[in-house]
Amino acid sequence: MSDSHNSPTITTLIRMFYFVGGVLVLGTLITVLIDVMFETTLLTASVIGLSIAVVKSSFVVAIFMHYKWDKKLIMITWTMVLTFIFFAGMMGLIMWADGDIPHLSRTEVPVFWVVAAALFGLALPASFTILTVKLLSEPAPVEAVAPKAKRVSKKKKS
Amino acid sequence: MEIPYTVKPRPDTGLYNGKLGVWLFLASEVMLFGALFSSYVLLRVGAEPGTWSMGLMDITVGAGNTMVLIASSMFVVLAWACLKQGDLAGYRKWKLATLACAALFLMVKWSYEWPTKFKHHDVWFKDPSVLHAAIEDGYGPEALHQGHNEAHTAGEENKAHSNDEYGWTAAQEYLHGNNDWEYPNRKATYAGRFFKRTGPESAKAYEKGLKGGTLALSGHITAYQEMQIDVTVSAWNTDGDSSEAASEKVLADLKVTDPADVRTNGKTVIEKTDYKNAMQAKHRLEQAGFTVELSENGYNEIKETAWFWRTPRANELIDGKPRVDSFTFELDNTHEEDGSHRKLTIKTIDVKRLSAYEPKHSTFFGIYYTITGLHAAHVFGGIIIMIYNLLPIGLLMWRKDRERFANRIETFGLFWHFVDLVWIFLFPILYIL
Repeated sequence: MSDSHNSPTITTLIRMFYFVGGVLVLGTLITVLIDVMFETTLLTASVIGLSIAVVKSSFVVAIFMHYKWDKKLIMITWTMVLTFIFFAGMMGLIMWADGDIPHLSRTEVPVFWVVAAALFGLALPASFTILTVKLLSEPAPVEAVAPKAKRVSKKKKS
Repeated sequence: MEIPYTVKPRPDTGLYNGKLGVWLFLASEVMLFGALFSSYVLLRVGAEPGTWSMGLMDITVGAGNTMVLIASSMFVVLAWACLKQGDLAGYRKWKLATLACAALFLMVKWSYEWPTKFKHHDVWFKDPSVLHAAIEDGYGPEALHQGHNEAHTAGEENKAHSNDEYGWTAAQEYLHGNNDWEYPNRKATYAGRFFKRTGPESAKAYEKGLKGGTLALSGHITAYQEMQIDVTVSAWNTDGDSSEAASEKVLADLKVTDPADVRTNGKTVIEKTDYKNAMQAKHRLEQAGFTVELSENGYNEIKETAWFWRTPRANELIDGKPRVDSFTFELDNTHEEDGSHRKLTIKTIDVKRLSAYEPKHSTFFGIYYTITGLHAAHVFGGIIIMIYNLLPIGLLMWRKDRERFANRIETFGLFWHFVDLVWIFLFPILYIL
């Protein structure tokens, strides 16, 4: 946690870790119980099952991976957000090539949306290049001297 | 060369370099697994109804392994928390617990879950009538009447319930079909293989598969009639590369008395041997310039559970006769009075395709083994790193720079949580949906 400034104390953290562990176990149990006890359609099952999975994974990312205290750090957020956008774009290209969209009723969608999704994916190379050039091409500033570095750390504190 | 910013965050990124590196690595991992998840979705959505083998997974094992991974994920942050408090003994304790969980996860997968599938076979027949007869024999009214079948022993009132449970009442109303072998429990048995939720659509797909003979029977091969082979030498190629002495030595090695006579006149050199011996002998003899013939000399019943059989294993012909004449097939979802499964004898000549639940079995198993295999490889990699971090060589860093070692464990934790995260999504899509 050396890079986060307002993270809670270790004892609070440990309590949170146990709490998250409990949430994960509970989530798994609920998923299994719903599957065993109820007869649902594939769509309902997917929505329920994947929602629980999303909740579980959010807890893992936020607490176990300390993202809750790191999210102000633009690098991680940008890396993951842009990865997602790029990925969505790549998938858009694949679906475009396939001429089909994974829709349960298997109806064709207007090509526009698929192309738009693919173009959206171009956001990654473009923004990542800009970000990289902006942040990393300069030599690492010496903390005491570089005014820019000071500004960044001030921002974090506020 | 000293690596900069291993402990203090780099001012512009706000992170120590190792952490940024791991997050970038995780971004690439998101791409890798994301592509496979998408492949799963595309393959599944594109599959014909009734060809996606859901319902074959053991949900107990899946849920158990999920719990194990969750526990390991929690232990790894606790190990890190101990380091932050300067408690090396606590770190060791939690790290060992993480390691144990990871090892347990892989052991369940590699020594139980996958091998169980490799022993489980599906068999498709060339002629629909053979399938119909086999189903009649395994699940038909006769089998029901004898009180051998699950649905019957459950009692009449429960039987009605179990029909509804599988949605067959609705399905039958939909179909209005009344052909001779429409028995609800059999349908239910088969529907479970491909349809997590049954209904009119699955009933139709079932009917189609049944009538067209494309439906597979599932079960275990527990015994088979394997050919006993005679190896006969008929002629010797005098122009060949092998000298008389060398080829006679080959015969002598096979314990043939009077090799010189056999070389000129020919003889059955090995009697009633198994396939492997016969093939090895054939290869050696042919190398020595002999013309070799293999012929059938009876069949031997081998009582063992077959692993990983594919079509050629059942359909191979030797001297125009099947290497395996027939096999005993213990059907799934059947129970005899003594608790064993109902056994059918299947002639290999009727078999069109035979496959264990291996990647080649179907698209479902193809993507299943690809994703879970890649995930298991990640768990395995994690185990190696955890062992390193527990060994004295890894702990040198702790003596040198405590903060840096704690950061190292934190970055490993990030990777480990990601592996857990992938499983959190894998569990519902592979075992539940």
